[in-house]
Amino acid sequence: MKLLINLVRKDFKRNPAITTALVVFLILAALLMAGGLRVAGTMISAYDQLNQKAIPPEYLQMHKGEYDNEAVGHFAANQDGIQDFLTVEMLTINNASIIYQGETLEKVLMDNSFVVQNVGFDYLLNMDNQVATVKPGEVGVPVYYAEILGIAPGDLITLKKDDYIKDLKVATIIRDAQMNVAMTSSKRFLISPVDQLELSQKMGEWEYSFQFLLKEGVDTGVLEQAYQSANLPANGVAITGSLLNLYNVFSYGLVAMIIVAISLLLIFMAMLCLSYIIRATMAEEQKSVGEMKAIGFPGKSIEILFQMKYLTLMAVAGIIGYLGAIPFGNFFSEAVVRYCGTGSSPGLIWGLPFLGMFFLSGMVAFGCHRVIKKNLNNTVMELLRGSGGRRREGHYTLPSSGFKYPNLTIAIGELGCKWREYGVILVVFVISAFLILLPMNMKNTIQDPSFITYMGVGESDIRIDVHFSQQINQQQDQVLKVLENDPEIEKKAIYKNGYLQAQTKSGEWQSIRVESGDQSVFPLVYLEGSAPIGSNEMALSYMNASELEKKIGDVLTVEYGGETMNYTIAGIYQDITYGGKTAKAAIDYRNEDVEVYILYLSLAEGINIDTKTNELREALPNIKVTPVPSFITQTLGGIVNNLSQVAAAAMAIALMISTLITIMFLKLIMAREHSAIAVKKAIGFTNRDIRIQLAIRILVILCLGIIIGTVLANTLGEAIFSLMLSSMGASRMTLLIQPLKAYLISPLVQLLVVAIAVIGGTKAVKHYHIKEQIIE
Amino acid sequence: MIKVEQISKSFKGNSPVDSAIATSVLNGVSFEIARGDFVAVMGPSGSGKSTLLYSVSGMDRVTEGQVWFDGVSLSEMNEQSLSGFRLNKMGFVFQNAQMLKNLSIFDNLILPGLVAKKEKPQVIRKRAKDLMKRMDIDGLCGRDIREVSGGQLQRASICRAMINNPEVLFLDEPTGALNSEATDQVLDILEDLNGEGMTIMTVTHDLRVALRAKKVIYLRDGAIAGEKELTAGGNREQALDDWLKGV
Repeated sequence: MKLLINLVRKDFKRNPAITTALVVFLILAALLMAGGLRVAGTMISAYDQLNQKAIPPEYLQMHKGEYDNEAVGHFAANQDGIQDFLTVEMLTINNASIIYQGETLEKVLMDNSFVVQNVGFDYLLNMDNQVATVKPGEVGVPVYYAEILGIAPGDLITLKKDDYIKDLKVATIIRDAQMNVAMTSSKRFLISPVDQLELSQKMGEWEYSFQFLLKEGVDTGVLEQAYQSANLPANGVAITGSLLNLYNVFSYGLVAMIIVAISLLLIFMAMLCLSYIIRATMAEEQKSVGEMKAIGFPGKSIEILFQMKYLTLMAVAGIIGYLGAIPFGNFFSEAVVRYCGTGSSPGLIWGLPFLGMFFLSGMVAFGCHRVIKKNLNNTVMELLRGSGGRRREGHYTLPSSGFKYPNLTIAIGELGCKWREYGVILVVFVISAFLILLPMNMKNTIQDPSFITYMGVGESDIRIDVHFSQQINQQQDQVLKVLENDPEIEKKAIYKNGYLQAQTKSGEWQSIRVESGDQSVFPLVYLEGSAPIGSNEMALSYMNASELEKKIGDVLTVEYGGETMNYTIAGIYQDITYGGKTAKAAIDYRNEDVEVYILYLSLAEGINIDTKTNELREALPNIKVTPVPSFITQTLGGIVNNLSQVAAAAMAIALMISTLITIMFLKLIMAREHSAIAVKKAIGFTNRDIRIQLAIRILVILCLGIIIGTVLANTLGEAIFSLMLSSMGASRMTLLIQPLKAYLISPLVQLLVVAIAVIGGTKAVKHYHIKEQIIE
Repeated sequence: MIKVEQISKSFKGNSPVDSAIATSVLNGVSFEIARGDFVAVMGPSGSGKSTLLYSVSGMDRVTEGQVWFDGVSLSEMNEQSLSGFRLNKMGFVFQNAQMLKNLSIFDNLILPGLVAKKEKPQVIRKRAKDLMKRMDIDGLCGRDIREVSGGQLQRASICRAMINNPEVLFLDEPTGALNSEATDQVLDILEDLNGEGMTIMTVTHDLRVALRAKKVIYLRDGAIAGEKELTAGGNREQALDDWLKGV
């Protein structure tokens, strides 16, 4: 051990730049590997524990309006696959009636309902992941609100309608495995049965959720099929457990997933640099290997000695990386922990990073083995001369007309000869540009007003929802009256949404959500085909078209009100709302079958959306009025915020890595080219000239890296983004790029940072004394 | 032409102990080199020969004293001016011919000429060809520096040193890595150049190199132990040998 420590100490003394670079990269790789795995471990463990404790349903059917409780109970009792059944009675209260710290929850676009604790499954948990309980006069508030509004235990929530006022004291913050995240557009408050009864007599509308827990191995599709066929209450969306999972994972798992993905990219980058540095250090070690070989050391012993040296360094880096990963991992797991808890598998959180360190050590040992084995194949003389296995560089030709810009010509010429050496830094710059651009472009895309088209509607400014209630017709009339002759509204359209039964290819029936209204007012861009015209055409969302196996021109048989109709598929569009499964057709819904009337408004030029929203909210107190830009950001919930966080973190990491690697790379290059630098100085090049030449080489590579990174972010990145959203119903995403940010500001920032690194990294040229180098 | 006045040079080591103690390499060295001189600096290993050469040529800074070149103090010039000075007025030849690996031999030769931009590229190219012909290496133009012998490479180094018509040529053990035949070739060339008026200062262990010089400076422990003018004619070898034994 002492011998190894001495060897390492001597390495630092003899070749400080290269050895430092090696150690920095080992630490970086260890930190990223352990950090990424810690985030992944925390995410898996936390999500798993939440689901174990809360036991969310595997299939649920929402319903508004009257229903036959016995029929549902009978259905549940007679289905073989059902393990447990539950009817959750949710008292939906208008956001304008929920007041926190003097402000209504209208700005929050969630649907809020007040429920009592369930029995059997689908529990609402407290922050210790125990089944939450509240006494009369108390309320459990969703963790989502604790996060966005800062609601804390002890605060007061006031419910108010006309003269009725009810104060509820926040007793606990609750985790809801089903509706935790921003992407599920409803949130559940936990209250006592006494309070629920009292409230229901004063305010709110009942909504029901029929929830099913399935026996092991039973497919949700089978239950869905059976439920839809049994003609049971279905005036609302049907949700499968996998969709809930998807929402959850997509929401709070997004940051963790992106961090893990970024870590993987960075680990790849660090491994690449590591292998380069091992090769570089081993090139410097050739003489030592030659000397050992000359005095008869067996090849295996030489290999073990060097491997032990690198593994000693790796052990130090591993410990630092593992310890550093604790705050690093905790920072990026914060959202998961808040929403799901700390989890029940500490082994995953602590063990995965540990395994990562073993894997990394294996990689280092393997890297050394390969390089040393290659070196040992050379003769002693080749090794002593340092010429063993060194790749011969090519030539460049000086211009016959002389130099116009000598430094530029020389730098480009040398770069052409040594381009292989620059492969590593090119990859680093490509990944950096990619890391900076992709999250930024993703965020811009989601924030762009035209993103609404991925939500199944054309661009508009305000959305008004009139949900099913006893007074739905009056409410609709009230809305139309308010909007009538309003000069600030440029155009408007009303859409009725309800559910029909559609026949699948195998002849079975399934419920689909169909929107009926004039599709020409807010035209959508269709993936294929066009908007439905007339009474016999229908447009399907991409996911419905895939699931029903329908193409343009195919006929879909639907059943509504006891009547069977055939619709020709006219268009396919992208939609990420309602699980991605929607349709558009002219359906003459009976009033009681309309789940919701949605009005879209486009405002006249210069009219402020928020001001108009507030005005309409005052005029329509019991109706949900939503500004569309906020609708997008709130529906995609924390994702935009998360993406902003990720974009900032990715940018910081990318710039830090670019700086670090540029400096290290320059140190390596200068160490390897010391004799060329000396020759140049001897024949009259100034320090400045040499620094400029090094800078040009790096900056040319950087520009190339930025170009490749940008192209990749726009192509591969777009594919990744599409893949992320395809499970939600958007198959073909186009990244909406802000050219100023993407093509000017971020490359300039990268250029600036690398330029500063080059200035710092080449400073050492000044201290290169020609004499010492030439004598050496 | 070159006046060296009481120059001293000391180094500090890297270790904590060494950094506190400065090691003196040159101690108050003074001498002059006239235009057209051929000076050989001799001395045992570690006597400070190479340090003296690099200090006189402005490649290294002196700790004390002054080096004057045609009345201009090299010690007071900044790095930028020194680089220009080296490019335009000095030529260098090192023990192991140091050339840029990514250029052919011919391009290595013309590089200082193109950078100096004193003359048109065609003139520089023609001079390079003439010099190569004169050194008998004109067939190596496009060759890689790893494809030629040590002697050929050293002659190419002299060509490169001459490309900007320097006023003085500095050589550090120019024949150290050469066999006898190659050594004779290089020395003939140096003698010819000196005959044409080129000022030369060389550091050497080799008696054969010193024999071609007009003046020999013997350095010991960083100080001049003796100086000898070598006159033409007579038994120069014997004279030099006798002097070296006595110095």
